[in-house]
Amino acid sequence: MRIYNVYVLIVSALLMLTTVILVALGQSSLAVYYSSYIIEALVVTEMFAYFIPKARRGLNLVSATLFGGFMVVICLQII
Amino acid sequence: MLRQIQCNNGGYSEGTLKGLGVRLRETKRLSGLLSLSRLLSRNSYTWAGLGLLIAGVLISVSAYFLFLLTWLTAMGVAMLILSFILLALSRTIPKLPPEVSGLLLETGIDNISSMVEELGIQAQAIYLPSSLSGGRPQALLPLHSNSSLPIITKALPRRLIVRYGVNPDEVGILLTTAGTTAVDMLEAIPAPDTAELESVLVALFNGVLGVADGAGVTGNESHIRVEIRNPRLEDKASWYHRCLGGTLASVVASLVAEAWDRPVTIRQEEQRGGSYLVELEVLE
Repeated sequence: MRIYNVYVLIVSALLMLTTVILVALGQSSLAVYYSSYIIEALVVTEMFAYFIPKARRGLNLVSATLFGGFMVVICLQII
Repeated sequence: MLRQIQCNNGGYSEGTLKGLGVRLRETKRLSGLLSLSRLLSRNSYTWAGLGLLIAGVLISVSAYFLFLLTWLTAMGVAMLILSFILLALSRTIPKLPPEVSGLLLETGIDNISSMVEELGIQAQAIYLPSSLSGGRPQALLPLHSNSSLPIITKALPRRLIVRYGVNPDEVGILLTTAGTTAVDMLEAIPAPDTAELESVLVALFNGVLGVADGAGVTGNESHIRVEIRNPRLEDKASWYHRCLGGTLASVVASLVAEAWDRPVTIRQEEQRGGSYLVELEVLE
């Protein structure tokens, strides 16, 4: 279970850090925040590729959902 | 009761079917509640995930529609992402606590240790690939006490006591070890290559079993040296471990035997600093 804790801690720390940096930069677009979060979550998940298959399946589902949200944000930006 | 639910033509009356439908719905509702309570009582990941989910929804909705604060909405979204991750991981936490698994492991080792000690076995175990031990990688403990290593060329029967040669003293016991079960957990057996073995060991020890931080593999065709970093599994000094090696060494030996498709024996194992070193010899 230790590896899961490390993974969750890394994702949490990255998301928190991103929020602080973007707020400090005066970012006011929610799409930018959301896109940054998703890219970070996907990259960290890929780095922990050696989880057991059941965990990987669950995280793949989460990644697919988040990616779907990311595509919606991009579509809204284009439109 | 039977008279109540059966009609004259042998079928069920309308009232009875309605009653059965109500009972079925109640049973489904109860089983739903039961599975929800099981989900909640399972682990801290579920609780943390649900907490973040509720807090994330409340914060992001109120921040977006009420307070009109982008950064707070973003915080809520981040909490939602984390909650999805935690809920996905919560399904993979084993139902049995680690203490119970440790208890079962120790009981099994104690039983085999008693048997090995009673038989007075002094020889080192030979870890056989599944092709030589009837479908699963197992460890062969020769009963003789001479120093020559047995040469096994054909598959042994799946029995406890097996004859592996033509001489009368070429008898041994075939045991299932921690490595046998660990190899079953892998999706694919690695190729006989040290780099691939290393990546599989890291995935197994760190990602699946959670017993070490990583592993490094060096060596050639016949000698393989594995360094397991920060192992969290300690073995007691017992007769079992003298013959079969430590639990982690046993897992490594089974995996190497399976990858190389050749018998393997543990030459040496030692704890050095924060690492556990295992030296293996791949036999002909």
